[in-house]
Amino acid sequence: MKKRFIIIINILIVGLILAITLKYANDRATESNRASIASFEKMTTTTEQIVANYLEDEQHLCDIWANYINRSAEAGTPMSVEEAISYIRKAKISPEISGHLIFIDDESMAGISTTASSTDSSDYSVNYSHINIFENLEISNVNGVVNLTRAYTNPHNGVQSIGFLNNVKVLDDETGKMRNGLIIRVVPVSRLEHKLVFLKGEYENVEISLIDWDGDYMIHGKSLKNSNFFEYFKSYNPMSAQEYNTVVEKIHTDIGSMHIRNSKDEDSVIAYAPLSNLDYWFLVAYIPAKELMANRSIDWILLGILSFGLLALLHFNLAILLKYNRQLSVTAEAANQANEAKSYFLSTMSHDIRTPMNAIIGMNEMILRNSKDKEILNYSENIRAAGNTLLGIINDILDFSKIEAGKMEIINVEYNFASLLNDLVNMVQRKADEKGLTFKLDVDRNIPLVLQGDEIRIKQVITNILSNAVKYTKEGEVVFSISGSKCQDEPDYVNLQVRVKDTGVGIKKEDLDRLFGAFERIDEKRNRNIEGTGLGMAIAQSFLNMMGSRMQVESEYGVGSVFSFELKQKVVKWEPLGEFDTAVQRFLSEREIYQVQFAAPKARILVVDDNEINLKVFVSLLSETKMQIDTADSGDACIALFKRNFYDVIFLDHMMPDKDGIETIREMKACTDTPNQKTPVICLTANAISGMRETYTNAGFDDYLTKPIDTNKLETMLLTYLPSDMVMKVEDLMEEEKNESEAVIEKNGAEKVQSILVLSEDVGFLKSIRNRLSGKYNVVLVKSEEQALAYLQKQEAIEQIDEERREHE
Amino acid sequence: MNRLIKKIASLGLVSVLVLSAAGCGQSNGQSKNKSQNSGQSKEQSQAEVSKEFSPKYSADTEYKISVVGTYSNFESLESEFERFYEHYPKGEIEYTYLDDYSNTIDQALAGQEPPDIYVVQPWMYGDERYDSLFDGAEVLSDPELEIDLDCIRSSFRWDMGEGKILTLPVFATSYGMLVNMDIFEKEGLEVPKTFEELKDTCDKLKAAGYDSPVMGSNTSTTPGIGYSFAYPMFAKTIKDDRSVEDDLNNLEPPAGEALRTSLTRLKEFVDNGCIDIDKCTAEIEDDYNAVIMRFFEGDVPMMLCSGDVVSGTKKRESKSEAFEANPFEYDFYVAPSGDEGGYYMDSISLLFCVNKNSESLDMTNEFIRFLANEQELGLMAQEKRLITPTKDYSLDEVYASLADFPEDRTVNFRDIEIMDTAVKQFRAAAYGVINGEMTVDEAVENYGTISTD
Repeated sequence: MKKRFIIIINILIVGLILAITLKYANDRATESNRASIASFEKMTTTTEQIVANYLEDEQHLCDIWANYINRSAEAGTPMSVEEAISYIRKAKISPEISGHLIFIDDESMAGISTTASSTDSSDYSVNYSHINIFENLEISNVNGVVNLTRAYTNPHNGVQSIGFLNNVKVLDDETGKMRNGLIIRVVPVSRLEHKLVFLKGEYENVEISLIDWDGDYMIHGKSLKNSNFFEYFKSYNPMSAQEYNTVVEKIHTDIGSMHIRNSKDEDSVIAYAPLSNLDYWFLVAYIPAKELMANRSIDWILLGILSFGLLALLHFNLAILLKYNRQLSVTAEAANQANEAKSYFLSTMSHDIRTPMNAIIGMNEMILRNSKDKEILNYSENIRAAGNTLLGIINDILDFSKIEAGKMEIINVEYNFASLLNDLVNMVQRKADEKGLTFKLDVDRNIPLVLQGDEIRIKQVITNILSNAVKYTKEGEVVFSISGSKCQDEPDYVNLQVRVKDTGVGIKKEDLDRLFGAFERIDEKRNRNIEGTGLGMAIAQSFLNMMGSRMQVESEYGVGSVFSFELKQKVVKWEPLGEFDTAVQRFLSEREIYQVQFAAPKARILVVDDNEINLKVFVSLLSETKMQIDTADSGDACIALFKRNFYDVIFLDHMMPDKDGIETIREMKACTDTPNQKTPVICLTANAISGMRETYTNAGFDDYLTKPIDTNKLETMLLTYLPSDMVMKVEDLMEEEKNESEAVIEKNGAEKVQSILVLSEDVGFLKSIRNRLSGKYNVVLVKSEEQALAYLQKQEAIEQIDEERREHE
Repeated sequence: MNRLIKKIASLGLVSVLVLSAAGCGQSNGQSKNKSQNSGQSKEQSQAEVSKEFSPKYSADTEYKISVVGTYSNFESLESEFERFYEHYPKGEIEYTYLDDYSNTIDQALAGQEPPDIYVVQPWMYGDERYDSLFDGAEVLSDPELEIDLDCIRSSFRWDMGEGKILTLPVFATSYGMLVNMDIFEKEGLEVPKTFEELKDTCDKLKAAGYDSPVMGSNTSTTPGIGYSFAYPMFAKTIKDDRSVEDDLNNLEPPAGEALRTSLTRLKEFVDNGCIDIDKCTAEIEDDYNAVIMRFFEGDVPMMLCSGDVVSGTKKRESKSEAFEANPFEYDFYVAPSGDEGGYYMDSISLLFCVNKNSESLDMTNEFIRFLANEQELGLMAQEKRLITPTKDYSLDEVYASLADFPEDRTVNFRDIEIMDTAVKQFRAAAYGVINGEMTVDEAVENYGTISTD
């Protein structure tokens, strides 16, 4: 994972934590705010009750005045205006409070006050005709309810006051008639304001206002501008008419609170409650929102600490991450080097093993072709099988790199199950015999004879299991069981159950998991002297997985192990295998005798290899094609022949000392003085690791052929590259040869052509010799002793092959 | 790479913190609209201006000041309270509307809770009922108070004798007309400056489909058509010949001749079709709210009115659906009644007096010192949309036309001393003339006895 992703994830996690913390803090703060607002509302409600009680008390005192005056009237002794005022003057205690008695029956709204005018101490008259406070009041019948005016200017002393009202009946001194009057208990607003100061409770900046239905203030908070609360609210809280009406309706009907913006556009809270028992009066408590939400700052401190901590953690993590990254870089570098070493090893091993294998398998192939002795053929067949198995193992080791690279493919072909078993048995029987182990074979005779699958991989899997069983068993036996059963769902398929049981060292339970790991060697200390790469089981398991199977292991340490797997194979021939020995013998007897694919006596090819045996094998394998085959044992020799003679095809080995195949072909491609500019050059190589085809193609080769050489592949390739007019059927060749042979015998009877080998470094000399002797002798010209020896060896080999062929014929 | 990683990490965290903080902030309050923001920035700039004020006393000074007046609502003054609190936060200033002010202010001053600052109006001076208002007023021109009265236009620095200035003018007013500038721009016309230009402009506007190019309230009140159009011309006549002043105040019929010029021009104005009196009567029900709301309909090129009417426009912009839908630019101009141009009545609308017996006299004077400033008075006038009493008209574009108005066509409030009764005669005469109830001659002849009911 790239660093930046880790960093982004870290940041996201830190961000998430902060976000969660913030949300938590916010939720807590909101909860706290709600509690604060609820407490504020409660304070408002309490204040409202106190104010309402106070106003009720004031009204009650006004009612007492009125009742006293009215009772006198009811008793038939009505008070005159003067008497009534005199009574009130005595009854009222506070000098700030005054009583006004005005006449309403003549709508003069004029009367007498208990106190003198502030401007004239002799003037007790009072006139409300210009004081517009009775518009919305029913002043003719106000007895028994709290009925107060808005805050107004006391016309008698200019003090802002509120009036508590009640009706009275008094006697008009001048007319002697009863008149309807209105008693007003006039209380300065400041008196109420002073009382409210003590109702603020814990809130320092709370401002309490009393408003009427229209929003006009009776008592005005300092921060609430305008003369009307609703006007003020609308000025600084823009909203639609509908929203505004909803707010007004809430204040008129509910007890609650809301956030508003004040004249400075600050967040504020108002709590509101209608005054109990008083129609159309409402208490509004105002407070700056920050005062209610002061404790929110604590969350920010916590948040700051948390942020700092997370930042520190992030930086710490980054430091650790960078340290690990550095270590990982070193490890990765080492791994790369190890991988390169492995690739080098695989390449070298491939080449070094395949080269002698080429000789073994090639020579053995000649034995198989030429021998008629059944015993020898049996031995030879064993060599072929073991050689092929070994080659398969080498290939599999090479292919392990393919598995790692994900390039391994399963190639299904038809195969003879008896042959497969034979190869396996031959391979393991010999090893078991060498260790004195008993090898038991238990083969289900009903297994179909010809199946379709990846024979090489199956064989490799079983070979690995059997080889391991033999390797890790010191005494006792190895039992190889194989049975088959038809697939229920797919009638064309058979399920093979393969099981290998040994009495070997067994595997500890704790090691079972490591069994299929590449390069894992179980119980290394104990099995140190046992050869192995540690790849076998890993490859086997990989192949089984690719073929839809899986290897099972049961093992008891010190007692033995059982390896088993099931494998589904397509059936080509349902003919049962029968008794295995018989089947093997039958297979061997039916084995097709090698038959050359074509003959091309006029074709001339060049093969280049530093290994003389390989050259010999190559020439031998193609002997029946009758082609003219020149050999060269080095890149330089190749180039010399390349310049001198025309060839139809050139086979050039890759890995050679001094000048390897790639260097040689580069030189050849650069050469213009040659008749072989269009001659196809095929790489002959024991280096068969993946990716080599591209390497060779890029180097200038037309194709490549791996060693050990498969005769069929070689002949097929030649058929591809040889001109068609040079290729003929073997039967035609034999007929031609027969005719020639007869002619030669006739000719030999008269004259036998001798060969002369001429060695000189002087090319002019050599040419003159050839001109002089070519008519009578077969003249062979060489420039060096090495070339002379090579020629002689080649002739010996040819003569030997000819002799063998004659014997065969 | 390390630096990059650190940068990315730090930026990421900071972003998260900022976003989170923003998220928190959202829960605190509601979003603010554009107008509030602009209001806030205006307040900030105002606050910067008021920083120029240098307080005399400690910021911890506690005080309580009461202001009483005739406005039921005085938000522009309350804004000044807020700005004053920035210097003296530990106090409280309260404005109270007094019912029946003219009768109760005297009582209030003598009462239990006398105000510290109270409103007076020019007409109160000389009326014995209000002598106490002036007798009890602090001398604001006292050098010890350091009140900068020089910022006031000289005509408004009301010297009561011996250099004593008892009042601080807060608002000025005038009479003239509101002009819909968008209509003039649309019709490609200039605002008329002389009576001839007015007639010409009205003809063009009528041709463009405006039935009554000029409208106004058909009342005999001060914002009414006759007073707004013709009174400044009448006042200029008196200013030019103050010999008739006493006779006019005494309602002597011969003095009625002084009305002739202005009433004749008024009649000519109506007869020329500049104004459709019937249309005005039908469509404008009162001399204040209806005038503004009709003007906001957007189809009246010129609306005669007083400065007090103009002061109501600001709040009513949002109450007029027509104006909200199609807002337009409007300005105040004097009515172009004269041949050389209109006449600017530079009248006082409101003055403050300080109660010299105030319990918080020092802080009250400090507040007046704070207020007596071109910026503060200008801001107050701008908020109230009345004319500033200072020399600087620049704060309110509506009244920009009054800046540098020619002195010879300006009538200051102390240039003439016409009693209220004489003014009422003029208003009634003007009303009668434009409504065809009397001719100009009849009005002149009947001066002193014209019914003012």
